[in-house]
Amino acid sequence: MAVTTYDNRPRAGRHRRTPRTRALRPPGRPPAAILVAHLLVWGGAAAVLGLWWADTPSVLGAAGWLTGAGRITGLLAGYACAVLVALMARVPAVDHALGTDRLARWHAMGGRFTVGLTLAHVFSIVSGYALTGHTGLVRQGTDVVLHYPDMLKATAGFLLFLVTAGVSARAARKRMSYELWHLLHLATYAAVFLAFGHQLANGADFAGRLPAQIVWYVLYLGVAALVLWYRVLAPVRSALRHRLRVAHVREEAPGVTSVYVTGRRLDELAAQPGQFFRWRFLSRGLWWSAGPYSLSAPADGKGLRITVKEVGGHSAAVARLAPGTRVWAEGPYGGLTPARAKSGRSLLLAGGIGITPLRALFETLPGEVALVYWAHRQHDLALRSELDAIAGRRGGRVHYSVSGPAGHTLPMDAGTLSRLVPDIAERDVYVCGPAGMAETAKRAVREAGVPGARIHHESFAF
Amino acid sequence: MTAATGSARGLRHVEHVMGTVFSFDVRDEPVPALREALARAVAWLHRVDAVFSPYRPDSSVGRLARRTTTLAEEPADVAAILELCAELEDATRGCFSARPAGRLDPSGVVKGWATEEAARILERAGARNLCVNGGGDLQLSGEPAPGEPWRVGIADPRRPDRTVAVVSGRDLAVATSGNAERGRHITDPRTGVPVDGPLSCTVVGPHLTRADPYATAALVMGDEAWEWLARLDGYALLTVPADGGPPAAGDGFPLAEPPPA
Amino acid sequence: MRGTHRVALTGLSTISGIALLLALKPHHADQPPLSSPEPDSGGGHGGSAPSASGGTRTGTFTGDAVQTKYGPVQVRATLDKGRLTAVKVLKTPSDNEKDRSIAADAVPKLTKEALAAGGAQVHAVSGASYTSDGYARSLQSALDKADSGKHGASRPAQQGAGSGQSTTGRGGGRP
Repeated sequence: MAVTTYDNRPRAGRHRRTPRTRALRPPGRPPAAILVAHLLVWGGAAAVLGLWWADTPSVLGAAGWLTGAGRITGLLAGYACAVLVALMARVPAVDHALGTDRLARWHAMGGRFTVGLTLAHVFSIVSGYALTGHTGLVRQGTDVVLHYPDMLKATAGFLLFLVTAGVSARAARKRMSYELWHLLHLATYAAVFLAFGHQLANGADFAGRLPAQIVWYVLYLGVAALVLWYRVLAPVRSALRHRLRVAHVREEAPGVTSVYVTGRRLDELAAQPGQFFRWRFLSRGLWWSAGPYSLSAPADGKGLRITVKEVGGHSAAVARLAPGTRVWAEGPYGGLTPARAKSGRSLLLAGGIGITPLRALFETLPGEVALVYWAHRQHDLALRSELDAIAGRRGGRVHYSVSGPAGHTLPMDAGTLSRLVPDIAERDVYVCGPAGMAETAKRAVREAGVPGARIHHESFAF
Repeated sequence: MTAATGSARGLRHVEHVMGTVFSFDVRDEPVPALREALARAVAWLHRVDAVFSPYRPDSSVGRLARRTTTLAEEPADVAAILELCAELEDATRGCFSARPAGRLDPSGVVKGWATEEAARILERAGARNLCVNGGGDLQLSGEPAPGEPWRVGIADPRRPDRTVAVVSGRDLAVATSGNAERGRHITDPRTGVPVDGPLSCTVVGPHLTRADPYATAALVMGDEAWEWLARLDGYALLTVPADGGPPAAGDGFPLAEPPPA
Repeated sequence: MRGTHRVALTGLSTISGIALLLALKPHHADQPPLSSPEPDSGGGHGGSAPSASGGTRTGTFTGDAVQTKYGPVQVRATLDKGRLTAVKVLKTPSDNEKDRSIAADAVPKLTKEALAAGGAQVHAVSGASYTSDGYARSLQSALDKADSGKHGASRPAQQGAGSGQSTTGRGGGRP
């Protein structure tokens, strides 16, 4: 039986009932995939350092220390650039195993670290050379840039790198649209390409060592091949194969629109509920960027549906799509899939437009499912009729909560959740919504006793 | 001319000529033949000055520069020297020239050549162990004392009373070309522009006639001098950089070890 | 702020890691490992057999390629009783123009250590050509005086007696 409830109790304030919770459990062991990924990345870094170690007989004087530090940071930065690009190559297996948002997070953190490494490298090398050659920093720097092989290109790459780093700073990102930022960020490909040559031409650890050079070529060419295939060729192939077009567009709620897309051989896409695609609508103003939107209904082989909330230029334009518009869909991406749920019982916590992937999961997750959906106002509860219908069909429970009018709010805390779902600690919990809501929900769920390994969350804020 | 000072240990003499000072240091027994040869060597230096000085109004070089005479009318040495200058200009790609800025001035070759010839005069008279220093460029033969090679200090261009390195050998020439005094007064003969490289270059090799212009050319060449000199058999280079760093010595430069205690 | 803490922590651990790696390497200059001497012993008094102990070795030795910042450089050292008297560079990285001029710059520095071995006692001094005045201040004149002084001879007269001594203009400042 479907149960639709509004909670009539006042919002929790001073008299919060103490929930009967178990002691906070530590987060579970991270999945094997994450461990493997760490091993690969750090193992590669150790191998790179080993190259330096094997190649350096001694470190002599201040100049030796500086040049040595310059070589180490240079090697690590070169390796890190390859890893960073690989993280963003959108290899489906990697994406599914680690999650798109985790990859994006690692990429962002690693990117900041690599910028630091590169700055340290430039400074140490120029100082070390200057000390060895008994010249001033400026003169040595100019000499290196103008007269060493491949250094003009490398300097251009370095400057591009700094520019994209600056543009990616949070302060700058707030001022520009995601699409513009993404476009600028692509300049890092050019930066990496320009800087590659100088590593082999000037790197003391590569000079005369063919095996090391070969390894470097393999590393970079391999990563380039991944990017070329998964980010360029595969989407084109997919577009040609599936010939997606907009079938029709429907408004679900004020500012929330569903788009139905049809095409050929859709089952080959193998999109699972909870996953998303990067959608490139080939219409004016939309063709040059790809927006990530989750499937809001399970892919039934006849069409794909996304539900988009107007939050900016791109999403507003999506709402105005004309039927027949051609579509390129890259994906599927995302790790928020039914396969994650091992317990047979699930709880879905949705905030705002986060309902979209959870709506698809609500329909397809096996076993017992409960859904709690937070929104601002009643009319913001998009897809509500569908949710009720699904709850009725399959016997799941759905609870709605709105911030207003007052009196219809479910507080997002461990006590409320435990009361709504007494066996919450044995369930798999999927969380999707704006960042603040997601963090609060995850905290509440952990407090209620759910182990970290059973909390599944994907953030879209990359 | 001043009287040569003699001693059981040899002959020493100092002569002011060609605007600089020539020092003779002969370590053989000062027999009369050697004293007489020394006098002839000194006279030789004055003759060279008379013929080759570009500053004297009545010298051959002065006349040739003003085109008031022809080579055929001048002593054969002049033609030989100018021919040598042409060969050197070719070998140094113009970094050494007898016609810097168009004016005829073979001084870069003449002093070293005159010094070497003065040493040969003494050798032909029987001297086996001698050192002739022509204003900072030396031709050496034999040993100053049995079993001990000559030790020649290379002056620090910044402090002429100190040396930055010591050369050691038995039969060799040491020529130093410097750019430190009175501002950068050495110009690149190809461009006329003052040279801005090392403070001094020292070339060591068998013949001072060559080492002297090589040192000048090396100063003009700068960094390319190393490669160029490496191709000349028997000659080696040391430079004192302008930035205050230590001197740099190239292939085969005969640096000395400390003297026995 | 947690953010800056993390940045500081990452930065510090990276710097410490790099410093540790550098510190673990030896810090003294290795002599280029010398292989057995060549048949043509060049240094010293005509072919004394190279002895076993490094202190009194005489001969010419070719070393292994040494890594410099420009690439591998191979060196032949001439020793005379254990003292380095000459260093000849056999192999330099010289693939293109830039490398050769760079190598030319690198090569002489290798013999820097040998320069200090010269010591102070010399018989004569080579320097940029000095004028008569310059000579008076130079080391050569001190050497000339010292030796003549020992034998009680009169000091050489300045200028004067020689004919044609007058020099105009720039005097003796020839390179």
